[in-house]
Amino acid sequence: MFLTLLWLLFGLPLPVLALWAAAPGWAWPDLWPAALGGRTAAFVLANRQSIAGALASSTLYSLAVVAVTLCACLAPARLLAFGRFRGRAALEGLLLAPALLPAMGFALGLYGTLVRLGLADTPAGVVLVLSVVSYPYMLRALASGFETMGQDYGRCAANLGAGPLLRLLAVELPLLLPAAVAGGSVVFLVAFSDYFLVQLVGGGVVPSFTGYLFPVLQSPDRGLAAMLSLVFLVVPVALFMLVEGLVLAVYRRRGM
Amino acid sequence: MPPTSRHPDGAPVPRLPDPAHASGRLSVRVSGWRMAALSPLLVLLVPFLAGVGLTAAQSLGWLLPIQYLPEQTAQGLYASDAWAGWRQLAQPHMAGSLLLGVRVAGLSALLSVAGGALLAYGVWRLPVRMQLAALVFRVPLVLPHIVVAFLAIVFWSRSGLVSAALYQAGIIGGQARFPALLWGGDGMGMVLAYTYKELPFVMLLAVASLRRLDPRLPETARMLGAGQWAVLRDVVVPHLAPVLHASFLILFLYAFGAVEIPLLLGESTPAMPGVAAYDLYFLRSLEDRPAAAALLTLLLLCCAGFVAAYVRLVAGLRGRERQL
Repeated sequence: MFLTLLWLLFGLPLPVLALWAAAPGWAWPDLWPAALGGRTAAFVLANRQSIAGALASSTLYSLAVVAVTLCACLAPARLLAFGRFRGRAALEGLLLAPALLPAMGFALGLYGTLVRLGLADTPAGVVLVLSVVSYPYMLRALASGFETMGQDYGRCAANLGAGPLLRLLAVELPLLLPAAVAGGSVVFLVAFSDYFLVQLVGGGVVPSFTGYLFPVLQSPDRGLAAMLSLVFLVVPVALFMLVEGLVLAVYRRRGM
Repeated sequence: MPPTSRHPDGAPVPRLPDPAHASGRLSVRVSGWRMAALSPLLVLLVPFLAGVGLTAAQSLGWLLPIQYLPEQTAQGLYASDAWAGWRQLAQPHMAGSLLLGVRVAGLSALLSVAGGALLAYGVWRLPVRMQLAALVFRVPLVLPHIVVAFLAIVFWSRSGLVSAALYQAGIIGGQARFPALLWGGDGMGMVLAYTYKELPFVMLLAVASLRRLDPRLPETARMLGAGQWAVLRDVVVPHLAPVLHASFLILFLYAFGAVEIPLLLGESTPAMPGVAAYDLYFLRSLEDRPAAAALLTLLLLCCAGFVAAYVRLVAGLRGRERQL
Protein backbone atom coordinates (compact mmCIF):
# COMPACT_ATOMS: atom_id res chain seq x y z
CA MET A 1 0.00 0.00 0.00
CA PHE A 2 2.64 2.48 1.14
CA LEU A 3 5.05 1.08 -1.44
CA THR A 4 2.45 1.61 -4.18
CA LEU A 5 2.21 5.24 -3.12
CA LEU A 6 6.00 5.60 -3.25
CA TRP A 7 6.18 4.05 -6.71
CA LEU A 8 3.33 6.17 -8.01
CA LEU A 9 4.88 9.31 -6.61
CA PHE A 10 8.50 8.76 -7.59
CA GLY A 11 8.55 5.92 -10.10
CA LEU A 12 5.79 7.04 -12.46
CA PRO A 13 7.69 9.87 -14.21
CA LEU A 14 10.19 7.49 -15.82
CA PRO A 15 7.67 5.29 -17.69
CA VAL A 16 5.75 8.44 -18.64
CA LEU A 17 8.94 9.92 -20.12
CA ALA A 18 9.57 6.66 -21.97
CA LEU A 19 6.01 6.66 -23.32
CA TRP A 20 6.29 10.26 -24.49
CA ALA A 21 9.60 9.43 -26.17
CA ALA A 22 8.02 6.47 -27.97
CA ALA A 23 4.86 8.37 -28.91
CA PRO A 24 5.76 11.95 -29.82
CA GLY A 25 2.25 12.52 -31.19
CA TRP A 26 0.55 11.83 -27.85
CA ALA A 27 -2.38 14.26 -27.63
CA TRP A 28 -4.69 15.43 -24.85
CA PRO A 29 -6.97 13.89 -23.51
CA ASP A 30 -5.65 10.40 -24.32
CA LEU A 31 -4.28 8.65 -21.24
CA TRP A 32 -2.53 6.20 -23.54
CA PRO A 33 -1.02 7.45 -26.81
CA ALA A 34 -3.00 6.57 -29.94
CA ALA A 35 0.06 5.63 -32.01
CA LEU A 36 3.72 4.91 -31.37
CA GLY A 37 6.44 6.35 -33.58
CA GLY A 38 10.20 6.30 -33.95
CA ARG A 39 10.72 9.99 -34.68
CA THR A 40 12.58 10.82 -31.46
CA ALA A 41 14.80 7.75 -31.71
CA ALA A 42 15.59 8.72 -35.31
CA PHE A 43 16.54 12.22 -34.10
CA VAL A 44 18.92 10.80 -31.50
CA LEU A 45 20.47 8.51 -34.12
CA ALA A 46 20.85 11.30 -36.66
CA ASN A 47 22.41 13.65 -34.10
CA ARG A 48 24.37 11.02 -32.26
CA GLN A 49 27.67 12.83 -32.74
CA SER A 50 26.64 16.14 -31.19
CA ILE A 51 24.70 14.34 -28.43
CA ALA A 52 27.64 12.09 -27.60
CA GLY A 53 29.95 15.11 -27.71
CA ALA A 54 27.78 17.04 -25.25
CA LEU A 55 27.47 14.02 -22.95
CA ALA A 56 31.23 13.42 -23.04
CA SER A 57 32.03 17.07 -22.33
CA SER A 58 29.55 17.16 -19.40
CA THR A 59 30.96 13.92 -18.03
CA LEU A 60 34.56 15.12 -18.30
CA TYR A 61 34.10 18.48 -16.63
CA SER A 62 31.93 16.89 -13.91
CA LEU A 63 34.62 14.28 -13.19
CA ALA A 64 37.20 17.08 -13.10
CA VAL A 65 35.02 18.89 -10.54
CA VAL A 66 34.92 15.72 -8.41
CA ALA A 67 38.72 15.45 -8.58
CA VAL A 68 39.28 19.13 -7.74
CA THR A 69 36.86 19.12 -4.79
CA LEU A 70 38.32 15.86 -3.45
CA CYS A 71 41.86 17.23 -3.51
CA ALA A 72 40.82 20.58 -2.04
CA CYS A 73 38.71 19.10 0.77
CA LEU A 74 40.83 16.22 2.16
CA ALA A 75 43.05 18.22 4.53
CA PRO A 76 40.38 20.75 5.57
CA ALA A 77 37.90 17.92 6.28
CA ARG A 78 40.49 16.26 8.50
CA LEU A 79 40.95 19.50 10.40
CA LEU A 80 37.20 20.01 10.81
CA ALA A 81 36.73 16.42 12.01
CA PHE A 82 39.59 16.23 14.50
CA GLY A 83 40.56 19.78 15.32
CA ARG A 84 39.26 21.82 18.24
CA PHE A 85 39.69 25.54 17.99
CA ARG A 86 37.85 28.74 18.68
CA GLY A 87 35.51 29.96 15.95
CA ARG A 88 35.04 26.47 14.57
CA ALA A 89 31.29 26.86 14.05
CA ALA A 90 31.77 30.20 12.31
CA LEU A 91 34.49 28.71 10.09
CA GLU A 92 32.25 25.78 9.17
CA GLY A 93 29.43 28.17 8.32
CA LEU A 94 31.73 30.21 6.10
CA LEU A 95 33.04 27.10 4.37
CA LEU A 96 29.52 25.81 3.64
CA ALA A 97 28.24 29.19 2.40
CA PRO A 98 28.95 28.63 -1.33
CA ALA A 99 26.40 25.80 -1.43
CA LEU A 100 23.76 27.72 0.51
CA LEU A 101 23.84 31.19 -0.99
CA PRO A 102 22.47 31.88 -4.50
CA ALA A 103 25.18 30.88 -6.97
CA MET A 104 24.36 33.84 -9.18
CA GLY A 105 25.37 36.22 -6.40
CA PHE A 106 29.02 35.37 -6.79
CA ALA A 107 29.04 34.15 -10.41
CA LEU A 108 27.88 37.39 -12.05
CA GLY A 109 30.28 39.47 -9.95
CA LEU A 110 33.17 37.18 -10.80
CA TYR A 111 32.30 36.92 -14.48
CA GLY A 112 34.19 40.05 -15.57
CA THR A 113 37.30 38.85 -13.75
CA LEU A 114 37.03 35.44 -15.40
CA VAL A 115 36.90 37.17 -18.79
CA ARG A 116 40.00 39.19 -17.94
CA LEU A 117 41.85 36.09 -16.74
CA GLY A 118 40.94 34.28 -19.94
CA LEU A 119 38.93 31.68 -18.01
CA ALA A 120 35.54 32.53 -19.47
CA ASP A 121 34.39 30.20 -22.26
CA THR A 122 36.95 27.59 -21.20
CA PRO A 123 36.47 24.19 -19.51
CA ALA A 124 38.86 25.35 -16.76
CA GLY A 125 36.53 28.25 -15.88
CA VAL A 126 33.53 25.92 -15.83
CA VAL A 127 35.34 23.48 -13.55
CA LEU A 128 36.40 26.31 -11.22
CA VAL A 129 32.91 27.78 -10.83
CA LEU A 130 31.22 24.39 -10.46
CA SER A 131 33.83 23.37 -7.87
CA VAL A 132 33.09 26.51 -5.86
CA VAL A 133 29.37 25.70 -5.57
CA SER A 134 29.78 21.96 -5.00
CA TYR A 135 32.80 21.54 -2.69
CA PRO A 136 30.73 21.94 0.51
CA TYR A 137 29.03 18.58 -0.18
CA MET A 138 32.43 16.91 -0.51
CA LEU A 139 33.69 18.67 2.61
CA ARG A 140 30.72 17.53 4.72
CA ALA A 141 30.95 13.97 3.45
CA LEU A 142 34.70 13.68 4.04
CA ALA A 143 34.48 15.34 7.48
CA SER A 144 31.86 12.83 8.63
CA GLY A 145 33.97 10.07 7.05
CA PHE A 146 36.97 11.16 9.14
CA GLU A 147 34.74 11.33 12.23
CA THR A 148 33.50 7.78 11.67
CA MET A 149 37.04 6.54 11.06
CA GLY A 150 38.44 8.15 14.19
CA GLN A 151 42.10 8.90 14.78
CA ASP A 152 43.22 5.53 16.11
CA TYR A 153 44.09 3.93 12.76
CA GLY A 154 46.29 6.87 11.84
CA ARG A 155 47.94 6.77 15.28
CA CYS A 156 48.66 3.04 14.97
CA ALA A 157 50.23 3.58 11.58
CA ALA A 158 52.29 6.49 12.94
CA ASN A 159 53.48 4.35 15.86
CA LEU A 160 54.61 1.74 13.37
CA GLY A 161 56.63 4.41 11.61
CA ALA A 162 54.44 5.47 8.70
CA GLY A 163 54.97 9.03 7.52
CA PRO A 164 52.08 11.38 6.76
CA LEU A 165 51.97 10.48 3.07
CA LEU A 166 51.98 6.72 3.60
CA ARG A 167 49.38 7.14 6.34
CA LEU A 168 47.13 9.02 3.95
CA LEU A 169 47.56 6.64 1.03
CA ALA A 170 47.63 3.27 2.79
CA VAL A 171 45.43 3.82 5.83
CA GLU A 172 43.13 6.81 5.61
CA LEU A 173 42.14 6.93 1.95
CA PRO A 174 40.93 3.31 1.77
CA LEU A 175 38.88 3.81 4.93
CA LEU A 176 37.47 7.06 3.55
CA LEU A 177 36.39 5.44 0.29
CA PRO A 178 32.67 5.21 1.15
CA ALA A 179 32.59 8.85 2.29
CA ALA A 180 34.49 9.98 -0.80
CA VAL A 181 32.12 8.01 -3.05
CA ALA A 182 29.09 9.54 -1.32
CA GLY A 183 30.47 13.07 -1.56
CA GLY A 184 31.72 12.50 -5.09
CA SER A 185 28.29 11.26 -6.24
CA VAL A 186 26.58 14.41 -4.99
CA VAL A 187 29.28 16.65 -6.46
CA PHE A 188 29.07 14.84 -9.79
CA LEU A 189 25.29 15.21 -9.88
CA VAL A 190 25.44 18.90 -9.01
CA ALA A 191 28.00 19.55 -11.75
CA PHE A 192 26.38 17.30 -14.35
CA SER A 193 22.87 18.70 -13.75
CA ASP A 194 23.86 22.35 -13.68
CA TYR A 195 22.58 24.47 -16.52
CA PHE A 196 22.97 28.10 -15.51
CA LEU A 197 26.60 28.32 -14.41
CA VAL A 198 27.82 26.20 -17.32
CA GLN A 199 25.98 28.42 -19.80
CA LEU A 200 27.26 31.58 -18.11
CA VAL A 201 30.93 30.68 -17.76
CA GLY A 202 31.11 28.21 -20.63
CA GLY A 203 29.36 30.72 -22.85
CA GLY A 204 27.97 27.95 -25.02
CA VAL A 205 31.52 27.23 -26.18
CA VAL A 206 32.02 24.44 -23.66
CA PRO A 207 29.48 21.85 -24.78
CA SER A 208 27.17 20.52 -22.08
CA PHE A 209 24.25 18.18 -22.20
CA THR A 210 22.05 20.48 -20.12
CA GLY A 211 22.81 23.24 -22.62
CA TYR A 212 21.73 20.86 -25.40
CA LEU A 213 18.62 19.82 -23.49
CA PHE A 214 17.32 23.19 -22.26
CA PRO A 215 16.09 24.67 -25.56
CA VAL A 216 14.34 21.37 -26.35
CA LEU A 217 12.60 21.42 -22.95
CA GLN A 218 11.42 24.96 -23.74
CA SER A 219 10.11 23.92 -27.16
CA PRO A 220 6.63 22.45 -27.57
CA ASP A 221 8.11 19.11 -28.71
CA ARG A 222 7.41 17.05 -25.58
CA GLY A 223 8.32 13.76 -27.24
CA LEU A 224 11.84 14.85 -28.09
CA ALA A 225 12.26 16.53 -24.69
CA ALA A 226 11.27 13.27 -22.99
CA MET A 227 13.68 11.27 -25.14
CA LEU A 228 16.63 13.57 -24.42
CA SER A 229 15.78 13.62 -20.70
CA LEU A 230 16.08 9.84 -20.70
CA VAL A 231 19.39 10.05 -22.59
CA PHE A 232 20.62 12.43 -19.89
CA LEU A 233 19.99 9.80 -17.20
CA VAL A 234 22.24 7.23 -18.90
CA VAL A 235 25.51 8.74 -17.68
CA PRO A 236 24.81 9.20 -13.94
CA VAL A 237 23.04 5.85 -13.64
CA ALA A 238 25.80 3.97 -15.49
CA LEU A 239 28.49 5.77 -13.51
CA PHE A 240 26.90 5.04 -10.13
CA MET A 241 26.55 1.36 -10.99
CA LEU A 242 30.18 1.25 -12.10
CA VAL A 243 31.40 2.96 -8.92
CA GLU A 244 29.28 0.72 -6.65
CA GLY A 245 30.76 -2.31 -8.40
CA LEU A 246 34.30 -0.98 -8.12
CA VAL A 247 33.98 -0.18 -4.41
CA LEU A 248 32.60 -3.65 -3.78
CA ALA A 249 35.47 -5.21 -5.76
CA VAL A 250 38.11 -3.17 -3.90
CA TYR A 251 36.70 -4.16 -0.52
CA ARG A 252 36.48 -7.83 -1.51
CA ARG A 253 40.07 -7.88 -2.70
CA ARG A 254 41.23 -6.30 0.53
CA GLY A 255 39.06 -8.74 2.46
CA MET A 256 37.23 -6.02 4.35
CA MET B 1 35.65 4.54 19.94
CA PRO B 2 34.72 3.38 23.47
CA PRO B 3 32.92 0.04 23.57
CA THR B 4 29.17 0.53 23.29
CA SER B 5 27.56 -0.05 26.66
CA ARG B 6 25.28 -3.06 26.56
CA HIS B 7 22.08 -3.80 28.36
CA PRO B 8 22.01 -7.09 30.32
CA ASP B 9 19.72 -8.61 27.66
CA GLY B 10 22.33 -7.88 25.03
CA ALA B 11 20.58 -5.13 23.11
CA PRO B 12 22.66 -2.03 22.56
CA VAL B 13 21.60 0.86 24.73
CA PRO B 14 20.85 3.98 22.70
CA ARG B 15 23.89 6.18 23.01
CA LEU B 16 22.98 9.58 24.33
CA PRO B 17 24.74 12.55 22.84
CA ASP B 18 27.56 13.25 25.23
CA PRO B 19 29.16 16.64 24.67
CA ALA B 20 31.95 15.86 27.12
CA HIS B 21 33.00 12.95 24.93
CA ALA B 22 32.55 14.72 21.62
CA SER B 23 34.87 17.50 22.67
CA GLY B 24 37.01 15.35 24.91
CA ARG B 25 40.53 14.09 25.01
CA LEU B 26 40.37 12.27 21.68
CA SER B 27 40.57 15.48 19.74
CA VAL B 28 43.61 17.56 19.01
CA ARG B 29 43.94 21.16 20.07
CA VAL B 30 44.88 22.93 16.91
CA SER B 31 47.78 25.29 16.89
CA GLY B 32 48.02 28.14 14.44
CA TRP B 33 50.17 26.43 11.82
CA ARG B 34 47.77 23.52 11.62
CA MET B 35 45.21 25.87 10.16
CA ALA B 36 47.40 25.71 7.05
CA ALA B 37 45.44 22.52 6.32
CA LEU B 38 42.70 24.82 5.11
CA SER B 39 44.88 26.34 2.41
CA PRO B 40 43.82 24.01 -0.46
CA LEU B 41 40.28 25.27 0.00
CA LEU B 42 41.40 28.85 -0.51
CA VAL B 43 41.57 28.10 -4.24
CA LEU B 44 37.78 27.74 -4.13
CA LEU B 45 36.86 30.02 -1.24
CA VAL B 46 38.75 33.05 -2.58
CA PRO B 47 36.86 33.11 -5.94
CA PHE B 48 33.60 32.82 -3.99
CA LEU B 49 34.38 35.67 -1.63
CA ALA B 50 35.84 37.74 -4.46
CA GLY B 51 32.69 37.15 -6.52
CA VAL B 52 30.43 38.21 -3.65
CA GLY B 53 32.62 41.26 -3.02
CA LEU B 54 32.65 42.20 -6.70
CA THR B 55 28.87 41.88 -6.91
CA ALA B 56 28.51 44.20 -3.94
CA ALA B 57 31.03 46.66 -5.44
CA GLN B 58 29.30 46.60 -8.81
CA SER B 59 25.97 47.40 -7.15
CA LEU B 60 27.59 50.73 -6.25
CA GLY B 61 28.88 51.21 -9.78
CA TRP B 62 32.48 50.29 -8.90
CA LEU B 63 34.64 47.75 -10.74
CA LEU B 64 32.01 47.18 -13.42
CA PRO B 65 33.32 45.06 -16.30
CA ILE B 66 32.40 47.88 -18.66
CA GLN B 67 33.15 51.48 -17.72
CA TYR B 68 32.43 54.69 -19.58
CA LEU B 69 35.45 55.86 -21.58
CA PRO B 70 36.64 59.46 -21.14
CA GLU B 71 35.37 60.44 -24.60
CA GLN B 72 31.94 58.97 -23.82
CA THR B 73 31.85 61.00 -20.64
CA ALA B 74 32.75 64.05 -22.77
CA GLN B 75 29.70 63.27 -24.91
CA GLY B 76 27.57 63.62 -21.83
CA LEU B 77 27.34 59.95 -20.83
CA TYR B 78 27.94 59.88 -17.10
CA ALA B 79 27.99 56.93 -14.84
CA SER B 80 25.21 57.73 -12.41
CA ASP B 81 25.96 58.09 -8.74
CA ALA B 82 26.78 55.16 -6.48
CA TRP B 83 23.28 54.46 -5.18
CA ALA B 84 21.48 54.58 -8.55
CA GLY B 85 21.36 50.78 -8.78
CA TRP B 86 19.89 50.48 -5.31
CA ARG B 87 17.36 53.24 -5.96
CA GLN B 88 16.23 51.34 -9.04
CA LEU B 89 15.21 48.47 -6.75
CA ALA B 90 12.72 50.63 -4.86
CA GLN B 91 9.87 49.66 -7.16
CA PRO B 92 6.71 47.73 -6.41
CA HIS B 93 7.53 44.89 -8.81
CA MET B 94 10.84 44.27 -7.03
CA ALA B 95 9.00 43.85 -3.74
CA GLY B 96 6.62 41.54 -5.60
CA SER B 97 9.59 39.50 -6.80
CA LEU B 98 11.03 39.10 -3.31
CA LEU B 99 7.62 38.20 -1.86
CA LEU B 100 7.07 35.61 -4.60
CA GLY B 101 10.52 34.20 -3.81
CA VAL B 102 9.72 33.93 -0.12
CA ARG B 103 6.33 32.36 -0.84
CA VAL B 104 7.55 29.78 -3.38
CA ALA B 105 10.65 28.89 -1.37
CA GLY B 106 8.79 28.79 1.94
CA LEU B 107 5.87 26.73 0.68
CA SER B 108 8.01 24.22 -1.23
CA ALA B 109 10.46 23.81 1.66
CA LEU B 110 7.59 23.38 4.14
CA LEU B 111 5.80 20.80 1.96
CA SER B 112 9.06 18.92 1.32
CA VAL B 113 10.01 18.80 4.98
CA ALA B 114 6.55 17.76 6.19
CA GLY B 115 5.98 15.24 3.39
CA GLY B 116 9.56 14.00 3.51
CA ALA B 117 9.35 13.33 7.26
CA LEU B 118 6.07 11.41 6.87
CA LEU B 119 7.33 9.35 3.92
CA ALA B 120 10.65 8.68 5.64
CA TYR B 121 8.78 7.37 8.69
CA GLY B 122 6.83 5.10 6.34
CA VAL B 123 10.02 3.83 4.68
CA TRP B 124 11.63 3.24 8.07
CA ARG B 125 8.67 1.11 9.22
CA LEU B 126 8.74 -1.09 6.12
CA PRO B 127 9.87 -4.68 6.64
CA VAL B 128 13.53 -5.23 5.69
CA ARG B 129 12.72 -7.20 2.53
CA MET B 130 10.72 -4.25 1.17
CA GLN B 131 13.43 -1.66 1.83
CA LEU B 132 15.04 -2.29 -1.54
CA ALA B 133 11.80 -1.54 -3.40
CA ALA B 134 11.51 1.71 -1.43
CA LEU B 135 14.73 2.99 -3.00
CA VAL B 136 12.54 4.24 -5.87
CA PHE B 137 12.20 7.47 -3.89
CA ARG B 138 15.71 8.39 -5.02
CA VAL B 139 14.69 8.86 -8.66
CA PRO B 140 14.22 12.66 -8.46
CA LEU B 141 17.70 13.01 -6.97
CA VAL B 142 19.20 11.98 -10.30
CA LEU B 143 16.89 14.17 -12.37
CA PRO B 144 18.26 17.67 -13.01
CA HIS B 145 16.11 20.64 -12.06
CA ILE B 146 15.35 21.48 -15.68
CA VAL B 147 13.95 17.97 -16.31
CA VAL B 148 11.88 18.18 -13.11
CA ALA B 149 10.40 21.43 -14.44
CA PHE B 150 9.60 19.65 -17.70
CA LEU B 151 7.90 16.84 -15.74
CA ALA B 152 5.75 19.44 -14.00
CA ILE B 153 4.61 20.59 -17.45
CA VAL B 154 3.91 17.02 -18.58
CA PHE B 155 1.81 16.25 -15.51
CA TRP B 156 0.28 19.50 -14.31
CA SER B 157 -0.20 21.81 -17.30
CA ARG B 158 -3.70 22.27 -18.74
CA SER B 159 -2.78 19.86 -21.53
CA GLY B 160 -1.04 17.54 -19.09
CA LEU B 161 -1.75 14.04 -17.83
CA VAL B 162 -3.58 15.01 -14.63
CA SER B 163 -5.92 17.24 -16.61
CA ALA B 164 -6.46 14.44 -19.15
CA ALA B 165 -7.23 11.95 -16.37
CA LEU B 166 -9.74 14.31 -14.76
CA TYR B 167 -11.37 14.83 -18.17
CA GLN B 168 -11.60 11.09 -18.79
CA ALA B 169 -13.12 10.66 -15.34
CA GLY B 170 -15.72 13.26 -16.23
CA ILE B 171 -14.68 15.64 -13.46
CA ILE B 172 -13.76 18.54 -15.75
CA GLY B 173 -15.42 19.40 -19.06
CA GLY B 174 -12.33 20.56 -20.97
CA GLN B 175 -8.77 21.83 -20.79
CA ALA B 176 -9.88 25.32 -19.86
CA ARG B 177 -11.70 24.02 -16.76
CA PHE B 178 -8.46 22.66 -15.30
CA PRO B 179 -7.01 25.16 -12.80
CA ALA B 180 -4.02 27.11 -14.14
CA LEU B 181 -1.47 25.58 -11.78
CA LEU B 182 1.42 26.52 -14.06
CA TRP B 183 1.91 30.13 -15.14
CA GLY B 184 -1.07 31.13 -12.99
CA GLY B 185 0.77 34.04 -11.41
CA ASP B 186 1.05 32.50 -7.95
CA GLY B 187 4.07 30.25 -8.55
CA MET B 188 2.20 27.00 -7.82
CA GLY B 189 3.97 25.24 -10.69
CA MET B 190 7.35 26.08 -9.21
CA VAL B 191 6.19 24.92 -5.78
CA LEU B 192 5.15 21.56 -7.30
CA ALA B 193 8.47 21.15 -9.12
CA TYR B 194 10.63 22.12 -6.13
CA THR B 195 8.63 19.89 -3.79
CA TYR B 196 9.02 16.89 -6.09
CA LYS B 197 12.75 17.48 -6.43
CA GLU B 198 13.28 18.15 -2.72
CA LEU B 199 11.13 15.43 -1.09
CA PRO B 200 13.77 12.70 -1.65
CA PHE B 201 16.47 14.97 -0.25
CA VAL B 202 14.57 15.28 3.03
CA MET B 203 13.72 11.56 2.97
CA LEU B 204 17.36 10.58 2.48
CA LEU B 205 18.48 12.58 5.51
CA ALA B 206 15.44 11.63 7.61
CA VAL B 207 15.71 7.88 6.92
CA ALA B 208 19.42 8.02 7.84
CA SER B 209 18.52 9.80 11.07
CA LEU B 210 15.69 7.35 11.87
CA ARG B 211 18.13 4.45 11.60
CA ARG B 212 19.70 5.88 14.73
CA LEU B 213 16.33 5.92 16.55
CA ASP B 214 15.85 3.00 18.91
CA PRO B 215 12.78 1.17 17.52
CA ARG B 216 11.79 0.34 21.10
CA LEU B 217 10.94 4.00 21.76
CA PRO B 218 7.94 4.13 19.38
CA GLU B 219 6.98 0.60 20.46
CA THR B 220 6.97 1.61 24.11
CA ALA B 221 4.93 4.68 23.30
CA ARG B 222 2.39 2.46 21.51
CA MET B 223 2.26 0.06 24.44
CA LEU B 224 1.63 2.98 26.79
CA GLY B 225 -1.41 3.83 24.71
CA ALA B 226 -0.17 6.51 22.31
CA GLY B 227 -1.94 6.59 18.93
CA GLN B 228 -0.13 6.64 15.57
CA TRP B 229 -0.23 10.42 15.44
CA ALA B 230 0.92 10.83 19.02
CA VAL B 231 3.92 8.58 18.32
CA LEU B 232 4.75 10.60 15.25
CA ARG B 233 4.33 13.92 17.05
CA ASP B 234 5.97 13.10 20.37
CA VAL B 235 8.64 10.53 19.49
CA VAL B 236 9.54 10.59 15.80
CA VAL B 237 9.37 14.30 14.99
CA PRO B 238 11.40 15.41 18.04
CA HIS B 239 14.06 12.88 17.06
CA LEU B 240 14.07 14.21 13.50
CA ALA B 241 13.89 17.88 14.48
CA PRO B 242 17.57 18.82 13.86
CA VAL B 243 17.55 17.17 10.41
CA LEU B 244 14.23 18.77 9.48
CA HIS B 245 15.36 22.23 10.59
CA ALA B 246 18.60 21.95 8.64
CA SER B 247 16.90 20.70 5.49
CA PHE B 248 14.19 23.37 5.67
CA LEU B 249 16.86 26.06 5.75
CA ILE B 250 18.91 24.52 2.92
CA LEU B 251 15.88 24.01 0.66
CA PHE B 252 14.45 27.43 1.38
CA LEU B 253 17.71 29.19 0.54
CA TYR B 254 18.17 27.16 -2.63
CA ALA B 255 14.67 27.77 -3.99
CA PHE B 256 14.82 31.45 -3.03
CA GLY B 257 17.82 32.19 -5.23
CA ALA B 258 17.82 29.56 -7.97
CA VAL B 259 16.99 30.27 -11.61
CA GLU B 260 16.74 26.95 -13.42
CA ILE B 261 13.17 25.94 -12.53
CA PRO B 262 11.86 29.54 -12.77
CA LEU B 263 13.38 29.90 -16.26
CA LEU B 264 11.02 27.14 -17.42
CA LEU B 265 8.04 27.53 -15.08
CA GLY B 266 8.15 31.15 -13.99
CA GLU B 267 6.63 34.30 -15.42
CA SER B 268 8.09 37.70 -16.12
CA THR B 269 5.98 39.66 -13.62
CA PRO B 270 6.34 38.97 -10.87
CA ALA B 271 9.53 37.07 -11.63
CA MET B 272 11.39 34.97 -9.09
CA PRO B 273 14.16 37.17 -7.63
CA GLY B 274 16.95 35.22 -9.36
CA VAL B 275 15.27 35.57 -12.73
CA ALA B 276 14.62 39.27 -12.11
CA ALA B 277 18.36 39.78 -11.55
CA TYR B 278 19.17 37.65 -14.59
CA ASP B 279 16.86 39.75 -16.79
CA LEU B 280 18.30 43.02 -15.48
CA TYR B 281 21.82 41.76 -16.15
CA PHE B 282 21.43 40.19 -19.58
CA LEU B 283 18.24 41.37 -21.23
CA ARG B 284 18.31 45.08 -20.49
CA SER B 285 20.83 47.84 -21.15
CA LEU B 286 24.31 47.92 -19.64
CA GLU B 287 23.19 50.79 -17.41
CA ASP B 288 20.98 48.33 -15.54
CA ARG B 289 23.91 46.19 -14.45
CA PRO B 290 24.41 48.04 -11.16
CA ALA B 291 20.74 47.42 -10.43
CA ALA B 292 21.20 43.71 -11.21
CA ALA B 293 24.21 43.60 -8.90
CA ALA B 294 22.26 45.47 -6.23
CA LEU B 295 19.43 42.94 -6.45
CA LEU B 296 21.90 40.06 -6.15
CA THR B 297 23.54 41.73 -3.15
CA LEU B 298 20.11 42.16 -1.61
CA LEU B 299 19.42 38.44 -2.20
CA LEU B 300 22.68 37.49 -0.50
CA LEU B 301 21.83 39.76 2.44
CA CYS B 302 18.31 38.30 2.64
CA CYS B 303 19.76 34.78 2.71
CA ALA B 304 22.18 35.72 5.49
CA GLY B 305 19.26 37.34 7.33
CA PHE B 306 17.09 34.22 6.92
CA VAL B 307 19.86 32.03 8.33
CA ALA B 308 20.37 34.29 11.33
CA ALA B 309 16.62 34.59 11.99
CA TYR B 310 16.06 30.86 11.61
CA VAL B 311 18.93 29.90 13.87
CA ARG B 312 17.62 32.26 16.56
CA LEU B 313 14.08 30.94 16.12
CA VAL B 314 15.19 27.33 16.51
CA ALA B 315 17.38 28.21 19.48
CA GLY B 316 14.38 29.95 21.04
CA LEU B 317 12.17 26.88 20.49
CA ARG B 318 14.78 24.64 22.07
CA GLY B 319 15.14 26.97 25.02
CA ARG B 320 11.39 26.85 25.64
CA GLU B 321 11.36 23.08 25.43
CA ARG B 322 14.06 22.90 28.04
CA GLN B 323 12.04 25.02 30.43
CA LEU B 324 9.02 22.77 30.15
